[in-house]
Amino acid sequence: MPAKDRDAYIDPDAEEDDFSAEEHDSVGSGDDFDQGTSSRGGKRGGLAGGKKGAEARLKSKGKGGDGYAWEGSISRTWDQVREDDGGSLELSVQEAIARARRKKLQQSGQAVRRTIIRHLVLMLDLSRSMTDRDLRPSRFDLGLEYARAFISEWFDQNPLGQIGVVGMRNGIGERLGEMSGNPQEVLRSIADRDKLMPAGEPSLQNAVEMARGTMSHLPSHASREIVIIFGSLTTCDPDNIFDTLEGCVKDKIRISIVALAAEMKVCRELCERTNGTFAVAMNEGHFKDVLFELIPPPAQLAAPAGAPGRSGPASSAAELMLMGFPSRLPETSPPSLCACHSTIKSEGFICPRCKVKLCDVPTDCDVCGLMIVSSPHLARSYHHLFPVQGYRPVMSMTQENPAGVPAQLACHGCSLPFPLRTLDSSANGGDAGDAAAADGISPLGRYRCPKCAKDFCSDCDVFVHDALHVCPGCC
Amino acid sequence: MDTSTTKAAREDPPAHLTLIVDLNPLQWELSSQASNDTPLSLSQFLAQLMIFINAHLAARDDNTLAVIGALPGYSVMLYSTDDSPPDDEAPARHQANSFQPFRMVDGRIASRIQEEMEKSTDLDGKTDRGLVGAITKALCHINRVNLLSVALTNNPESTSAMAPPSSQSPRMLILSISPDASTSYIPLMNSIFAAQKLKVKIDVCKIFGSDTVFLQQAAYLTGGSYLVLERRDALLQYLSMCFLPPASLRKVLATPSQDKVDFRAACFCHKKVVDIGCVCSVCLSIFCYPITRTSCSTCGTRFPLQTLKRLGYIRQPAAQANGRSKPNGTANGK
Ligand SMILES: [Zn+2]
Ligand SMILES: [Zn+2]
Ligand SMILES: [Zn+2]
Ligand SMILES: [Zn+2]
Ligand SMILES: [Zn+2]
Ligand SMILES: [Zn+2]
Repeated sequence: MPAKDRDAYIDPDAEEDDFSAEEHDSVGSGDDFDQGTSSRGGKRGGLAGGKKGAEARLKSKGKGGDGYAWEGSISRTWDQVREDDGGSLELSVQEAIARARRKKLQQSGQAVRRTIIRHLVLMLDLSRSMTDRDLRPSRFDLGLEYARAFISEWFDQNPLGQIGVVGMRNGIGERLGEMSGNPQEVLRSIADRDKLMPAGEPSLQNAVEMARGTMSHLPSHASREIVIIFGSLTTCDPDNIFDTLEGCVKDKIRISIVALAAEMKVCRELCERTNGTFAVAMNEGHFKDVLFELIPPPAQLAAPAGAPGRSGPASSAAELMLMGFPSRLPETSPPSLCACHSTIKSEGFICPRCKVKLCDVPTDCDVCGLMIVSSPHLARSYHHLFPVQGYRPVMSMTQENPAGVPAQLACHGCSLPFPLRTLDSSANGGDAGDAAAADGISPLGRYRCPKCAKDFCSDCDVFVHDALHVCPGCC
Repeated sequence: MDTSTTKAAREDPPAHLTLIVDLNPLQWELSSQASNDTPLSLSQFLAQLMIFINAHLAARDDNTLAVIGALPGYSVMLYSTDDSPPDDEAPARHQANSFQPFRMVDGRIASRIQEEMEKSTDLDGKTDRGLVGAITKALCHINRVNLLSVALTNNPESTSAMAPPSSQSPRMLILSISPDASTSYIPLMNSIFAAQKLKVKIDVCKIFGSDTVFLQQAAYLTGGSYLVLERRDALLQYLSMCFLPPASLRKVLATPSQDKVDFRAACFCHKKVVDIGCVCSVCLSIFCYPITRTSCSTCGTRFPLQTLKRLGYIRQPAAQANGRSKPNGTANGK
């Protein structure tokens, strides 16, 4: 790795002329990193970084037109909602929904191959820079809040996955929570705010090495990922972090970073080389958006077209796993010993192969070794595999309805009637429809499933694609 | 918090009940046969159901109700309290012994059921998937009603599909007589998760036939109860004791709990209910054990040979399709 790259810890894009004086400072501290004296280099870099960070952020955010978060404190999401001529908000809300719908239309029909058995190390920056209050209430509090929400939602969508938590402060990586598939356990590891108080400098290298060690023993069909919430503009590392990066590439660890300050060259490099994503949060809402984009299981690169199942690099990791689906005993059943802790209890799960009692699933049976999962755990991810096709907005009843078929009076989902006036206006819906077509909004408020040709209202369209994942007409 | 909201919080919100009535004509015919211990015909069932519906509506004047019928191959909304009454319905002759609004509700539900049953007699061969359609419709309806009530209270976040139920505590009661339809396993599971998100409890009352694994899971996962009728002539008693009280009273009442929840799944290859299966690590598709295929039908992944051997796959290049003899003697559907 050329030394030039390492000097530019802060991406030139994020810098402007104004703080060229401090630029020298950073180059100096950057050189220090090569020597690997973490305390010295770290301290110097940290002092410069704190001040520089503020300006760099100002610049990077200024470009986005947002300014400092506290400068834009009056701007709120409802400012983006504009009233139409009639003073109604309906249209802009419709537009927001339509935007999401368009995205959905593009997405459906994409590769179904996704990594479902995931292993993730969530890395929290607990350095002093997290006390910055540019995100309210503070980077630390907001980061913690979103990290908790992230964990809950992540387990909701990846029920067979596991999360470990690592904190970065005082120049070392701190293991806050072991790899666990139990959401409660993971949440408990970051429940106590007082134990996580920010201090000192972060060390990306130390923390990434720690995460790498945690995931080194994992089977090949599982994914290994690191998600970093990073608030600093410096990292104080004992050694060359690019060696660590090479190790991660070799171990197929995917690193994604959400930066709260500004873009750092080393961060972008970490993400790009490992096929992860890098994002800088502009404000509170954007922070949550970019963090939550990391939740859905990443699509695997599909096998080359025409050769499904050819053992390429992606499919070589595939495995067939034998799994047992237990039945659950109620609390009223006669107590007996469990195989895992040898304690007497009534409730539990019965291994379908050896009929032994287990306390909790998912787990491996202690007697026969069969992997025991409750089938709902598996079923939670099926909607990623069989997505509902996007509904198309119906532009005019006269054009799209085959002759002789009476128009559907009520939504096929909620059974509430479509507004009647839209039927009358369908005669002149032709030209008005063209404008709306680009937006994905139906002037009639009807959205038609391409498979079963049933019409749905806008609310049901959103609900079916966001929550239900089943078309009421097709199933 | 002002006094009015604390008062409202202490009181129970009005209850919304969605009834899903399984109207499979074949199963009702079987249910009414005299060879059963306690035969129950559709008309006897409906008579008791009407009393239950009236009791629900009488418990509070702002309680709401939706009735959805599940027929072989399709499902249909039979009645909803949001519907405006049809204008053409002439006010029936007033009867001194009945409460007019109840008579109208009962009459409309009964006539709609009759309509649909007559329509469905020629659909016997259709696969049984009306139930999951009815559940998805019920969820769409609950979601829409939630959104409408949220919009009424002027909440700016009314666009979210996941908005928690505002004032109501929606509940769903499935009156089931049909056996499991394993073809609808995935849609049903997706519906269950959507119900969890909407905080809808799904109660299941199994009136006739054997246990359904998937409805058991539905009740368990959403915190509802699953009840198998022991004496079917006492249907009304069961309904009013177990399913009439609102959710907040359930804890006190000790409703019959499920003794055993079966977490089995349906395999993707034959739609058979299995307790041990082979699972593709890429997409989590479930296949029967022992494995009868070399690649995943869902994602196209080819499985490693040694894994296949370990899982009992025997390669028979000559006779792929039929006449294969397995060590365990498993019947091959294909
Ligand atoms: Zn135990
Ligand atoms: Zn076992
Ligand atoms: Zn609808
Ligand atoms: Zn459809
Ligand atoms: Zn099968
Ligand atoms: Zn697969």
